[in-house]
Amino acid sequence: MTLSTFLAHQWHSFWRARNANKSLVLQIILGIFYLLVFLEIAGLGIFLPYLIKESMPGKDPVVVFCSYIIYYFLVGLLFRFQLQELPSLSIQPYLTQNIKRSSMLRFLNVRSLVHVINILPLFVFIPFSVDVILPAYGSIATICFLLSMLALVVNNHFLNMYIKRKSIVSSWWFFIIVIVIAVLKGFDYFKIIFFEKISDSVFIGLLHHPWLCSIPLALAIITFLINNNYLRSHLYIEELVSERKLKISKNYSFLDKYGDVGEMIALDLKLIFRNKRPKSLIILSGVILLYGFIFYPKYLETGNYNMLFLFALLITGLFISNYGQFLFAWQSSHFDGMMSYNINMKQYIRAKFLLFVTVCSLQFLIASFYGFMGWHILPIQLAAFLYSIGVNSFVTIYAATYNYKYLNLSKSANMNFQGIGALQWLQFLLISFGPVGVFYLLNKFVGFWAAIITISSLGIIGLALNEMIINWLVGQFNIRKHKILEGFRER
Amino acid sequence: MISIKNLQKSYKGITAVDIDTLEIHAGEIIGLVGNNGAGKTTFFRLLLDLIRANSGEILSKGNLVTITEEWKGYTAAYIDDGFLIDYFTPEEYFYFVGKLNQLSKGDVDDFLNNYEVFFDGAILKKGKYIRDFSKGNQFKIGIIAALLTNPELLILDEPFANLDPTSQLRLVDMIKKMASDHRMCIIVSSHDINHVSEVSSRILLMEKGKIIKDIAGGEAAYDEMVEYFKVK
Repeated sequence: MTLSTFLAHQWHSFWRARNANKSLVLQIILGIFYLLVFLEIAGLGIFLPYLIKESMPGKDPVVVFCSYIIYYFLVGLLFRFQLQELPSLSIQPYLTQNIKRSSMLRFLNVRSLVHVINILPLFVFIPFSVDVILPAYGSIATICFLLSMLALVVNNHFLNMYIKRKSIVSSWWFFIIVIVIAVLKGFDYFKIIFFEKISDSVFIGLLHHPWLCSIPLALAIITFLINNNYLRSHLYIEELVSERKLKISKNYSFLDKYGDVGEMIALDLKLIFRNKRPKSLIILSGVILLYGFIFYPKYLETGNYNMLFLFALLITGLFISNYGQFLFAWQSSHFDGMMSYNINMKQYIRAKFLLFVTVCSLQFLIASFYGFMGWHILPIQLAAFLYSIGVNSFVTIYAATYNYKYLNLSKSANMNFQGIGALQWLQFLLISFGPVGVFYLLNKFVGFWAAIITISSLGIIGLALNEMIINWLVGQFNIRKHKILEGFRER
Repeated sequence: MISIKNLQKSYKGITAVDIDTLEIHAGEIIGLVGNNGAGKTTFFRLLLDLIRANSGEILSKGNLVTITEEWKGYTAAYIDDGFLIDYFTPEEYFYFVGKLNQLSKGDVDDFLNNYEVFFDGAILKKGKYIRDFSKGNQFKIGIIAALLTNPELLILDEPFANLDPTSQLRLVDMIKKMASDHRMCIIVSSHDINHVSEVSSRILLMEKGKIIKDIAGGEAAYDEMVEYFKVK
């Protein structure tokens, strides 16, 4: 069995995957999206010299570029921890076939290299080198420079693979590297040690003495060999997958007093914290909370309350659209069970609504500290919060009754479009830009307080009518229940 | 207990289930047999209102299962791992199902103590999520969770297929005991005509969605099934 056969199988598995099975329109939209990202990054490579010249006049773009390479690779390692997964399980079906170990090893190594994170940098390095380095330093230096960059990418790649394989990677690694970067940057900032200087002198030195590129090349070969040797002696499925920790049973006793509804909420909380995909959504919701630091000051200064409202809506309510778009699909692997356990459907739907309210209240309380930036933020966030839980939560539950797609919880959420259809995009636009449009019009033609009061009132009306709306939602759910069940059974 | 009238379900014109009338009574152990594609699992899903029938009705204690929800209170089922919450530990799952049926933690622990032998020390206090257990052990978890609620109607889809021989024999005893002690109505599908004829008080043989034989369980039923399944 040759490498090309393996790769052909992977090609099939990519195109025949469940999430490749989408409507043509969505595929085209996604295709355009990917194309735009690639073009943007390639454009960055081409325009980088001009950008550097403009923002730092009088400096040599090559020197500036080189001084940041060290940071690029450190940050790159961070992204690798998050984005790259070990391609080990894909060899499981081959282990018992008549295939030589060495060809399986070769496949694992080559397969792992095919990843956006390895390919994207080339779109920056190649245009930049051709544009700036080639005219100044000549062709041999350029080729050697590119070779060293490539070698460093490969080195980072196998370093990450090795760390992950040894299953010594934990969240701590992530923070350690963040701290290292912060310290390096701090030394630069306070002018103690000039790491940027070191970085640029190393890489500029490389341009003057092209033979130095043998060092990064050697480094890449060494990490490759270490990784390869480790793999060779550990080609067993249980050793390729990261080790498991002992799982502890947990119960959220504070939810006990809420009876079955509390039990349902505990179920959702466990679902979120024990599965990869929902967990990364929660982390995202936490990160979104920090958006205020970036965007609020700017819009406060210019008095652009419409934009403030948009971000307040994201900060207080993003959890609803993030988690709610797959409200039932999260449980798709055991939805047959959910529908035959002794659960009252009204309580089931109410639990979902209360989960939204709980999480959003938490986000709202934390976000209230932004009030220190300017008092306008407080009424804006309050209105956004009330609207999120009083209107958007119900809209989201309603939309979820139209989601019939099975969802795999163990796949990472990054760039994962499984289960996302045109409906989800539409819903996202509706629940974010709908209220912003209303806010904008009222704010423009009537006044700031009219906008705040109207939006808040809509939310309060929704909350006051929650009993009625939930009853209606149960009816809607029951109409499509069998269709949802059927869709979830199709994996 | 269950009464069925003119029940029909077809997929793209191919009949999956087609039952004119069927009455199932409390205390009966029904063995459902038939080759793959005979419609056994589809029938179970219809009983649990997990799929919508094209026509006909299923009454559970006189109430339509499609409209009422009371049946959930006295019905328990294990069809496949789609009934297990795979990111729970077995203990959490048992407590969860128990709670839904108003059983306290102590009740659940007492119940589980009776099944220590069945679990064979491989299920409880293992520090694993259900998704990390083997298929056979997942099946044991599902069966015990279904029994936990002491239902009046119990539905098990091919419970013998995924169990080791010792557990199969234990399950046969458990089913017999429950039906006689609690007058439980149990519906079991199986490919193992040996076990099914031993355990069932009544056997329904399905072919292409229809019930073609409705006979009493026991030795005679075994012979009749051997005759039917013989390679022609």
